[in-house]
Amino acid sequence: MIKTIDLKKTFIGRGQTVHAVDGVSTHIKPGEVVVVIGPSGSGKSTYLRCLNGLEELTSGHIYIDGVDLAHRKTDLNKIRREVGMVFQQFNLFPHKTVIENLVLAQKVVRKRSTADAEKKARALLSKVGIAEKEQEYPIRLSGGQQQRVAIARALAMDPKVMLFDEPTSALDPEMVGEVLEVMKQLAREGMTMVVVTHEMGFAREVADRVLFMDHGKLVEEGTPEHFFTAPREERARLFLKQVL
Amino acid sequence: MNSFRKDWCWHLLTALVLVGMGYGLWVATGKVDYTWRWNRVPQYFVYHNEDAKRVPYDGRVVEIETAGDTTTVTVRDRFDEEETYRIDSDTLRVSENEDLFAGDHIGSVFNWQVGPLLHGLWVTLWISFVASIIGLVIGLMTGLCRIGRNVTLRQLSTLYVELIRGTPLLVQIFIVYFFFGTVLNIDRIAAGICALAIFAGAYVAEIIRAGIQSIPRGQMEAAKSLGMTTTQAMVHIILPQAFKRTLPPLAGQFISLIKDSSLVSVIAITDLTKSGREVITSTFATFEIWFVVALLYFLLTASLSQVIAWVERRLAISD
Repeated sequence: MIKTIDLKKTFIGRGQTVHAVDGVSTHIKPGEVVVVIGPSGSGKSTYLRCLNGLEELTSGHIYIDGVDLAHRKTDLNKIRREVGMVFQQFNLFPHKTVIENLVLAQKVVRKRSTADAEKKARALLSKVGIAEKEQEYPIRLSGGQQQRVAIARALAMDPKVMLFDEPTSALDPEMVGEVLEVMKQLAREGMTMVVVTHEMGFAREVADRVLFMDHGKLVEEGTPEHFFTAPREERARLFLKQVL
Repeated sequence: MNSFRKDWCWHLLTALVLVGMGYGLWVATGKVDYTWRWNRVPQYFVYHNEDAKRVPYDGRVVEIETAGDTTTVTVRDRFDEEETYRIDSDTLRVSENEDLFAGDHIGSVFNWQVGPLLHGLWVTLWISFVASIIGLVIGLMTGLCRIGRNVTLRQLSTLYVELIRGTPLLVQIFIVYFFFGTVLNIDRIAAGICALAIFAGAYVAEIIRAGIQSIPRGQMEAAKSLGMTTTQAMVHIILPQAFKRTLPPLAGQFISLIKDSSLVSVIAITDLTKSGREVITSTFATFEIWFVVALLYFLLTASLSQVIAWVERRLAISD
């Protein structure tokens, strides 16, 4: 589904060179739920953003469904409609109502009719449990509700993969649960997911595989049982000691 | 209740200050021996025009037919040709079978005509309107070029903005009229509108650029993550939000444009300012006319402010 080979992303700013992602190679299979964890600044968000082309790679290859993202002739917009993304800051469109947020890209990108798009949008809104808010503007929703709308918005494009970039980090603690619940449901339905998160409970319960990153490198990967009970690497052990 | 009483006192003080200033002005003008003739002003808005009908040749009135307010007078001239004149009934000055000499006054037709001030107001209004629209288009294009990826477009747009902002509008009007007007053979109205539009465009470009850059990067990223192209994201996501944020400074710019349009009077466009000057040369009512001209400009700008405020309220529903 997603294959990354020796992925590197370097930022150059003020004379400093930062290797945000430094040679990550992995393969994410269809239906797999992969959780990426690691200390802040470890490059996990940058890695995720590379996967749908929001960050341009410095070197390496990303194959999504066999198409190379780094290839000059690849139409990134075509790839992105198959790869849904949920952001830490929700990034809902504030000038549009909830339902318009879900309908817009369906019409503009997928060229669906208004009726079809609205039907799809309503179905997804009731799936994430906020059907009654469809005419509200995002600003009037709580953080948890906004994030659920954002998930529904990404799902409306019928993506093959969903990327989550710290989806619960900007939420008040009491709203984390409702968002995680939606994500768990998605995972149960067999959606391929790559999740960057600090929610260890979620990783342990839902993940098929855990990737641990530090300083841009993929330090350790394995099943949650393996990773949370007996990590091989010293850095992973240290990290777990601090967060658990 | 307490705050209402306190405010009420301040309102009174404001009124007193204004009345005091007005009284001071009135006293001061009294000292300079100026006769105020406000009664002369209204006729320069609209006036009752008298169109006197006169016979061109010697002749004789053969028939007078009155139907209500209009009277038809038929005159047979010395070449035996008949000519009819329609005049207002109460201005009839001839009777049937009367002999007329060339130039004799038969009667008059009265009608309402637009005076120079109203005409000038109209010219200012439409020149400003057209220049605003063109300026908005130029500004939008330039603003997008300023933040675009193409280096040449970016440099050209920066050069344009810097050149226009760094030179006086009056000089620009002269250059557009005398240089471009001569070289490209465009008339004065077109030259005036062009100069105003190019001037406004540079400022609008900066406003739009700032507006677009004030939209969080996440908006563009969210749009792109849904598969939208840059153009689609601009049209559906970024520009509508930027437009809302830039409405107040844009309104200020267009209000400025209405006021700046007074400068096109220097290339002999009969706008409100030039009409005012022309009226003064025939009336010598200098003080009154300039006050009236100022008031008319204020009416235009105040109405625009109201319209923009209304649009802002409409757009505020998503806040």
